[in-house]
Amino acid sequence: MSDAAELSPARRPWLSFAGLGLLGLVLLFTAFLHLGLGAKALDWTTTWQALSQYDPTNLDHAVVRDSRLARLLVAVVVGAALAVAGVLIQAITDNPLADPGILGINGGAAFFVVAGLLMVPGTDFAYLPWYAFLGAVSAAVIVALLGGRAHNPVRLTLAGAAVAALFSAMTATVLLLDQQGLEKLRHWLTGAIGAADVSKLLQVTPYLVIGLLLALSQVRSLDAHRLGARAAAGLGVNILRLKVVGLVAVVLLSGSVVAVAGPIGFVGLVVPHAVRLVVSADYRWILGYSVIVGALLVVLADLLARVAVRPYEINTGIVTAMIGGPLFIALVIRRVK
Amino acid sequence: MRWAAPAALRLGEFSLRFRPLDLGWILLTTLGLFAAVLAAATIGSFPLGWQQVWAGLWQPSGSGEGAMAHQVLWQLRMPRILAAMLVGACLSLAGVILQSLTRNALAAPGLIGVEAGGSVTMLMSLVLFPGLVPVYLLPLTALAGGLVVAVFILMLALRGDFSPLRLILVGIGTTAMLQAVSELLLTYGDIDRVESALMWLGGSLHKVTWTEVRVLALWFLLAGVPAMFAFRQLNLLQLGPAVASSRGLSQRRTLAVLLLASVMLTSSAVATAGTMVFVGLIGPHLARQCCGDRHGILLPLAALSGALLVLIGDTLGRWVFAPLQLPAGLVVAIVGAPYFIFLIARRREFAN
Repeated sequence: MSDAAELSPARRPWLSFAGLGLLGLVLLFTAFLHLGLGAKALDWTTTWQALSQYDPTNLDHAVVRDSRLARLLVAVVVGAALAVAGVLIQAITDNPLADPGILGINGGAAFFVVAGLLMVPGTDFAYLPWYAFLGAVSAAVIVALLGGRAHNPVRLTLAGAAVAALFSAMTATVLLLDQQGLEKLRHWLTGAIGAADVSKLLQVTPYLVIGLLLALSQVRSLDAHRLGARAAAGLGVNILRLKVVGLVAVVLLSGSVVAVAGPIGFVGLVVPHAVRLVVSADYRWILGYSVIVGALLVVLADLLARVAVRPYEINTGIVTAMIGGPLFIALVIRRVK
Repeated sequence: MRWAAPAALRLGEFSLRFRPLDLGWILLTTLGLFAAVLAAATIGSFPLGWQQVWAGLWQPSGSGEGAMAHQVLWQLRMPRILAAMLVGACLSLAGVILQSLTRNALAAPGLIGVEAGGSVTMLMSLVLFPGLVPVYLLPLTALAGGLVVAVFILMLALRGDFSPLRLILVGIGTTAMLQAVSELLLTYGDIDRVESALMWLGGSLHKVTWTEVRVLALWFLLAGVPAMFAFRQLNLLQLGPAVASSRGLSQRRTLAVLLLASVMLTSSAVATAGTMVFVGLIGPHLARQCCGDRHGILLPLAALSGALLVLIGDTLGRWVFAPLQLPAGLVVAIVGAPYFIFLIARRREFAN
């Protein structure tokens, strides 16, 4: 057995728990920073007091409680959901380059949301997740059909890029036809956590929970699928069910995220690769770590987005693209033959 | 088959061999282009009849109704038509050159990030330092960004075992990253400026005047026309590095010069009309369907089909949702993305 296998969580569960705990602490620390820093930097004690002894008359406390806490919550949920979606889509397509953004799923969801908001009268937020799911499903189905039956990551990725380009062109068309829509939506379109609020998050929570449960229900099948589709089928895994359930989970998770915070790319790409550096087998651990690492990544990205050019803000999706783009290129250079 | 015997055109040291069928294709595309020009000249918010267009073209300037037609034709429609054709020709030629250099049928300037690189530097100069760069030199700012990306991509492409598909995937990653940069610039600009910038990014020709046409024509003369005479070198390069150097081709220099030409063409188009991702893919591909890989014919034919493509896209964009205008690049993308998908679906190396 190699060292990696010795360290794998199946053999040393306490090590994995320790790692998870450590990451959780890092996340807490980052979250605290996220609450304290921003257009107006607050010191540690003020931030802590805002959480422990809330004083409604104190403006600084109000900043922390009303705007930053909501934003933090959105960032955590968005990161965790996207990371799980990334793990699932990389597993079921058996493609290290897969990501809801790169495969056009976010783009499809965004197009349907924009078209729904601007072209269907009387649309309110309650419908938006459904538009997003519809868009995500249609993009996913087109890409899956194009990807073909045979296992071919490159073809799948190219098909995804084409579908993403198509949907982004159509989104731009709709926005140009409705000029007021552009002003309303341009922040949302680049992945804006700042514009999201908790009430929207609460509305998509059921979908997120269902998506997560679906993902967890397939853990055993995913573990078997790692050995290859044929071997998994030999072990009694229903491959078709795995793929369909996995895809439904991906659509629910990334569609909800798009409805709340706009299309945020590359989180689903980066997180699974980062997690695999630490845990290699067992999808229970991979999913668990992904939730924490995804949340950490998006909270960090959001922090960076708010601190980098104070008092202005960069959109979070732009920051994740800056982090994820180079990783994608490095992966292509190393992995694709 | 006697009628298909190759003929040769000699001009000094250049000799161009072509088949009668090639002439047929060029003639056909040219006719199509004429028809498209006529259609584009008549369609618009001020509709003109065929006769009015014809009269307006030749009259120095009419009076009354005729004066209006003359004005519309010469001040609005003609520059736009010419710019559309030039942009299409530039992008399509750039695509052919890039595809032959990397020996990769999918390498279009839009797909591998050259257009995105150019548009980032353009946006920077437009949003951060408006009015700093004179119109004639605007392509230079696009050139800077495009060249950096192109050199990066080519360095990867020429590394021993670098496969064509990896090249495209690296390009997709690069494009995504650069798009994030342009979005950054777009989200924080003044909304009016951003609206026109979005229009420009979508590949629009709505603000074209004779000045832009002159700039485009100048750059096309500088980079496009010489590139068309480089068909021998491109033919050799396509046979692979070993064959090319055995026929006495200095690879390094040829590559550098041709790459520069390709990026110059892309940059001038990007500077005038923004990004049109799929023109550099579809134009060359359509031309290849007709005449294969013989660059002597392929280059002019690709230029013509690119011109036709953008002109049709622009005219459709003006016409379909009139009075609203869609940028030509968006129209081409909505048609082009499915075409690209079709190309991927058909490629043999994916068939498994």
